[in-house]
Amino acid sequence: MTLFHFFNCAILTFGPHAVYYSATPLSEYDTLGTSIKAAVVYLATALVKLICLATFLKVSESDSFDPYQELLKALIGFIDVAGLYFALAQLTHRNISQNHKFQAVGLGWAFADSVLHRLAPLWVGARGLEFTWDYILQGLEANANLVLSISLAALGSLMWLRKNKPKTLIPIIYVCAGIVATMPSITSYLRRGLGWHFPKIVGFELFTSLVMAFISWQLFSACQRPSL
Amino acid sequence: MAPRKSPRERQMLVLESVIALVFVLVACVELCDGATVVDVYRLIQYDISGAPFGSRLAGLNHHATSLHFSPHADLSRTVLLIPLREFNISFVKEYIAENKPLGGLLFLLPQIFNFENKGEVGSNHLDGTEELLKNVLAELEQILIRTNLPYPVYFAFEDDNINAVLADIKKSDITGQPATATTGGYKFVVSALEPKSLVSPSITNIQGWLTGLKAGDDAHQLPTIAIVASYDTFGAAPALSVGSDSNGSGVVALLEVARLFSLLYSNPKTRGQYNLLFGLTSGGPYNYNGTRKWLRSFDQRLRESIDYAICIDSIGSWENELWIHVSKPPENSYIKQIMEDFSSVAEELGFNVNLKHKKINISNPRVAWEHEQFSRLRVTAATLSELSAAPELLEKTGGLIDSRHFVDEKAIIRGVKLVAESLARHIYGHQGKNIQIFADNSNLAVNPYYIRSWLDVLSQTPRVAPFFSKDDPFVMALKKELEDHTDEVNLQREALDGMFTFYDSTSAKLNIYQVASVTFDLLLLLVLGSYLIVLFSFLVITTRGLDDLISLFRRPPSRKVKTA
Repeated sequence: MTLFHFFNCAILTFGPHAVYYSATPLSEYDTLGTSIKAAVVYLATALVKLICLATFLKVSESDSFDPYQELLKALIGFIDVAGLYFALAQLTHRNISQNHKFQAVGLGWAFADSVLHRLAPLWVGARGLEFTWDYILQGLEANANLVLSISLAALGSLMWLRKNKPKTLIPIIYVCAGIVATMPSITSYLRRGLGWHFPKIVGFELFTSLVMAFISWQLFSACQRPSL
Repeated sequence: MAPRKSPRERQMLVLESVIALVFVLVACVELCDGATVVDVYRLIQYDISGAPFGSRLAGLNHHATSLHFSPHADLSRTVLLIPLREFNISFVKEYIAENKPLGGLLFLLPQIFNFENKGEVGSNHLDGTEELLKNVLAELEQILIRTNLPYPVYFAFEDDNINAVLADIKKSDITGQPATATTGGYKFVVSALEPKSLVSPSITNIQGWLTGLKAGDDAHQLPTIAIVASYDTFGAAPALSVGSDSNGSGVVALLEVARLFSLLYSNPKTRGQYNLLFGLTSGGPYNYNGTRKWLRSFDQRLRESIDYAICIDSIGSWENELWIHVSKPPENSYIKQIMEDFSSVAEELGFNVNLKHKKINISNPRVAWEHEQFSRLRVTAATLSELSAAPELLEKTGGLIDSRHFVDEKAIIRGVKLVAESLARHIYGHQGKNIQIFADNSNLAVNPYYIRSWLDVLSQTPRVAPFFSKDDPFVMALKKELEDHTDEVNLQREALDGMFTFYDSTSAKLNIYQVASVTFDLLLLLVLGSYLIVLFSFLVITTRGLDDLISLFRRPPSRKVKTA
């Protein structure tokens, strides 16, 4: 019975990644290699981030919100962006259109994130006898994270890979990328600073991820038009 | 050297981060365990001459239900959660007498029976409900320890956590959904091993002497007065059997009497012409088995030198009447003298002491009073007790109900005064004179703080003798206390006679899990499945168009047509 629950939560956490891969043209163009490379880059980035966090951050005794520490954490969080830049711009991919490249990178990125952060707690916790909503919410969070990662990858590809984009859109692209990249800090502020509960945070994440996805989609198609 | 170093450093880095990751995971593991944990105490499991009694199992893994279960429900795989406050004894009688199958029983006791409860204590003015609870619990305890229950039975104390769980269970029971695997609810889990029988349980007697002043001759010529109290307990839950009244009050009184006389005997001018023998005996609930072994270890000369013995048993909650139980006829000169000593002092203190004579039946193995073990060896002895009638075997032995809450220190202080004063008058030959040796406000006054602190210690120490380890700290503490007041203190460790077998695992941790039902999981699976299908369709339509989606479903039949 509890294995059943674990199975459910695993479907919710990792299912959308698989569905995304198989439903979109990614599977047709065999972009799995790109996703795997992105996942490896994510792992390396996570390692660097961990070391930075351990070096520069004090261990807080209380669970309170410390602006200075949070700022530092947000800055360290931008290492993610650097990693993503590396994955998008520096890694040599096989002939792959920009359109698919950012999707594949975002997908690999989000999947690696889910595996690293959610698989072990799920395995340990969701198989236990005690029922909580936490693991279902965590699965929903993974979905929001997938959308956000792909949005960020889309914005990144607009910033770094596309040369001829409308001048007026550039600041908007940068602002949006900034917002998406600071999402972890924003949620952390909501949780610690405002004392929001987990369900509310997940709701917020889902909502913002959909909004950001819509905006970046619009930006992407706006940039695509002149080139067509 | 430089190029060689860098990979090693990198390895170190990787190693460090892996360790960091492991720590992060471990932290997650601890966070995820959100179940309620409750301390529970198991019903005693024991055999009398091979016949099994008490709860025969320890491990528990069942759904919980309250007393509001539907009458046709099958309870063989459910734990019944019974708060003592709403409990009627006829129900349990029915279930136990008819031996109906149950998954387990968990009794919730009010906090007044909790020995860790440091709330208001010692109030002798019990309100009606407390008295009622006490009587119900006493009856329940007797039923439980005399029945063979083939399922685990536990006791726990009411607290906010478990009350919330109980309220939840009641709510679902009243709405008519019994908690089973398909409707969710609470699951109670105690992971315990099969109880093992204790190998050769032992009992430990402690004795100490205050030697009298020799008038030039051999000390053994001096007569001896023995003061004896049994200190161990027996109850439905061994881990809760603290026995504040039976016989914690007797032990406290004995220690205080020893302290008072040690003050007198430390000065040669006030040292009496009697030896005083103090005995803390074990095995009290089992026909005073320890007392018997203790007496048999004495040599004949010593036994004959004992003038009389006073056994103190349960003097912690009485109003104005104490009983002296004897087995020799009241016309006996020693008995007469003891009675005179005690009743005159009692009169001055403002209460009554009554004599009760009960003959010993040698062929009956039951020994109801501690003095009967002395009488069987022809030593004059009497038991001072608040109980007017002899208790049955394993009755009034310091079980569940015998908590600090129901014991009055003032009663013990009066008891100590009675014993000490009448002994002193006997020793110093002041019979019939109104002289207060242990008067209040003198330096020989009874010390209420001493009595309170020892009573508190005893009321927090479960003392079922077979569960004492070798050199148990409590026994050592008693020995040390007696050493402070008396000389020649020694321990006598004996095996408990073979009639009883006890089993371990007396306390455990109960994990309460709120579990989801299978139907919920199925429903969740359906919802998730449809979510993924919708997501798939949505993605296919937006990225490839509607036609692609339709063709996905059309393709297999078209292939078949082609091959055909």
